[in-house]
Amino acid sequence: MENREIAQYALEALKKAGADEAQCIVSRGKTDELNVDGGEFSLMRSLLNSSISLKVLKDHRKGVVSINKLDRESIDKAVADCIAAAESSMPDEAEVIAEISENADTNFISGALEPDKDRLFDRIQEFLTVVKKEYPKVIMEQLISEYSHTDMLYMNTNGVEFSYKAGGYGFSTMFSAHEGEKASSFIGYGANLNTLDEPFLEIGQQKILLEESGKQLSARPVDGKFVGTLVITPACLGEILSTIVGNFMSDSVIIDKTSPWIEKLGERVADERFTLSTIPLDDRIVCGERFTGEGYPSQNETLIENGILKSFKLSAYGSRKTGYARALNSSWNMEVQPGDTSLEEILSGIDKGLILNRFSGGQPGTNGDFSGVAKNSFLIENGKMTDAVSETMISGNLADILLHIRGISKERLCDGASVLPWIAFDGVTISGK
Amino acid sequence: MIQDRISQFKRDFSSHTELRAQVNTTRRIGFLGGNLVTNLRSEQGGVSARVYEGGVYGFSSSADYTEDSIRAVLKAAQENARFLDSRVRKGKGPFPVIGAGNRNLDLEFRDAEQKRYIDFAKEVDAYIAGKYPNLASRSIILRSECTEKLLVVSDGFDSHSRLPRTHMYVILTANTPEGSTVELVCMFGDSGDFESNFTAPEQLFPEIDRTYEELMKKAEGIYADAGLKDCVLHPNLAGILAHEAVGHTVEADLVLGGSVASHCLNRQVASELVTMIDFAHTLPDGSPAPLPVLVDDEGTPAEDAVLIENGILKGYMNNRESAQHFGVKPQGNARGYLFSDEPLIRMRNTGILPGKDKLEDMIAAIDDGYYLTETNNGQADTTGEFMFGVCMGYEIKHGKLGRAIRDTTISGVAFDMLKTVDMLSDTCVWSCNGTCGKKQPMAVGMGGPAVKCRVTIGGR
Repeated sequence: MENREIAQYALEALKKAGADEAQCIVSRGKTDELNVDGGEFSLMRSLLNSSISLKVLKDHRKGVVSINKLDRESIDKAVADCIAAAESSMPDEAEVIAEISENADTNFISGALEPDKDRLFDRIQEFLTVVKKEYPKVIMEQLISEYSHTDMLYMNTNGVEFSYKAGGYGFSTMFSAHEGEKASSFIGYGANLNTLDEPFLEIGQQKILLEESGKQLSARPVDGKFVGTLVITPACLGEILSTIVGNFMSDSVIIDKTSPWIEKLGERVADERFTLSTIPLDDRIVCGERFTGEGYPSQNETLIENGILKSFKLSAYGSRKTGYARALNSSWNMEVQPGDTSLEEILSGIDKGLILNRFSGGQPGTNGDFSGVAKNSFLIENGKMTDAVSETMISGNLADILLHIRGISKERLCDGASVLPWIAFDGVTISGK
Repeated sequence: MIQDRISQFKRDFSSHTELRAQVNTTRRIGFLGGNLVTNLRSEQGGVSARVYEGGVYGFSSSADYTEDSIRAVLKAAQENARFLDSRVRKGKGPFPVIGAGNRNLDLEFRDAEQKRYIDFAKEVDAYIAGKYPNLASRSIILRSECTEKLLVVSDGFDSHSRLPRTHMYVILTANTPEGSTVELVCMFGDSGDFESNFTAPEQLFPEIDRTYEELMKKAEGIYADAGLKDCVLHPNLAGILAHEAVGHTVEADLVLGGSVASHCLNRQVASELVTMIDFAHTLPDGSPAPLPVLVDDEGTPAEDAVLIENGILKGYMNNRESAQHFGVKPQGNARGYLFSDEPLIRMRNTGILPGKDKLEDMIAAIDDGYYLTETNNGQADTTGEFMFGVCMGYEIKHGKLGRAIRDTTISGVAFDMLKTVDMLSDTCVWSCNGTCGKKQPMAVGMGGPAVKCRVTIGGR
């Protein structure tokens, strides 16, 4: 059966079994993946993927079942399971199935729909060759590169229907530098790509991180403890911003009102130069989301504009539960607007601080307190990047640091999933030995 | 039980081949402030094949589990291996022969109705709501998982295994005097299905009460003083210490990638008190390990891997390929998470053996330091520099426990920090709620005693 036929069959079966409303997401895809371990090709992997996810509402009670088999017998069982789960559930008026959105596109195609396996192999080999030649101290501990294609369909009992065919490439690297018994911390970097036109080395922050890896062989702990400036690079910023959005703006912390920003909608939560958006429809984003898992068409959205909190990042359920607006997409494709100073200018104004390429820390609580190890990082002294650091910890509060931005670089990097600058935050505790 | 449709294909294997049928079953319930926000049943199953030729692997998987799809994945895996071999020409020979056999591990998984999970969690939630109305927030996550595998291999042991685990997390959030919030999690459950772990909600109430008391202390708590400190790590932290600080650095694939352990074999890397083992299926007292493995996904019969013995680094964890490289016997550490995942070198039940000290004596031996009792995550580095989040702990002043501390992080360089271990408690705690991340997730067991050591603590 085709995806549409499967979804129609599943929804009809759910209605027959007593569902008031229901939705179905059917997905099929293929992944071709090449793996490198210890600098050498190790594995070629081909996956045939499929999944079907059913959500049903019965008397406002929700049940969700997800399986990866698309045959009729498996779907019949999933339908029965889903109805049973809903009947066991608790009624919640906030649970809904999406209504049709006016004037919304419903069929989408994005990215490369056919793989070029030979070129993918050649791009990897080219990258390994250049790394071996230009960065002889670096060991490519792991490199995974793949082509993935997905054919997805969303359908619900209110007549909403979307389809999306998307294909793209990806690569992720994990590497460290070595000299005798000295070694740098490993670091990972990756990107999503529509084409294989550009060498992997030239994408995003990959080259900078390889160059810096060798310098980290002589890393040393910071002396003592001080409060300084933390410059977070694009390679690390996405993870920090995701934590901020999750901890302060998402369903769970808004529903239970534990977010420190619960009363801050329309108010200042960050420096006025800081603007954060989610941009799944942007051309720079590879195979970005076109519709949400709840059945709404995706739109780009500004969450924080010039430091003012414009929107929480709520699902339709979270929205109905709290009365705040639903987020216009459910993606994590983030963009931060550039500043008007160069990275070099920002660094030149910092007396003492750190450039942070990777953060290895405990999961911050809802209050935003964070602490952890600064990895692959460099000391800033008197306006210049100096020594690589090891065994150095940083701590602070995520809400506080957004209000203490020293500078945002005008340079930004795109990895196919986000477009981010370097941001310097003041008031972070940095401690070594 | 997975129907055996794969054994018949064994006669067709031409190269080193692993053929695996697998189903991962998940049941998940989530309550947030009394709202049932997650009510999910999920099954992911299918078949995969991996073929080794000349030093490279080809792998293929399909969600369809039919004779045609099995034939197709075998063909695709063979073609992938040949394609890669033709491009890289490593010219490596076959693995040393293991010999044929069969071992099964069929732990019971009674698939409870969703209503059982919901009603149980609802009762626990109602207890918390009724008894502790001053909490800023409460949530409950109840998760039951079962991984069932059927494996046939060209050389090695065929097997069928079924490995369930079920855990409930109760997350309590309290307001602090300064207007922010603090959280604390208590965890219940073990290997096994829901019915074998959870019989009556009221059995959980005393531990929830204790967690609430600790949370109140944490709300009034202080930030740790950052720096290198004498600490006692509760046994709850010993497992993650073994897993993160040492375990990952002695996985042979990371050793070949240049981990710190690549230079340290047969060297003193820890205090003589420290012995660390990755147990396959049975703990030293004869009890089953939290997540027993009898045969790994390469068909290697599993046995214990001694990593550190009396402070000396004795060995690595291997798959068949790395074992051949290092000239040692593979011990069954290669596992894949889903049917569509190739086996990677993974820990099984990694722990530090107990010592002879009493916990109270260990605390009494510290003049100025911390007693750290709960952790919520951890990360490793190939340099041996590790960190893990600490979400509950206390000051130690003049040998006595003082004020509670807020969330913090501890870190160190494993082979430096382990040399500072000067006391180990005589009791261990083992758990199997951990999910290790390394390309794929993987359920892991871990454990150990309380550890007195010197470690860097983050703070303000």
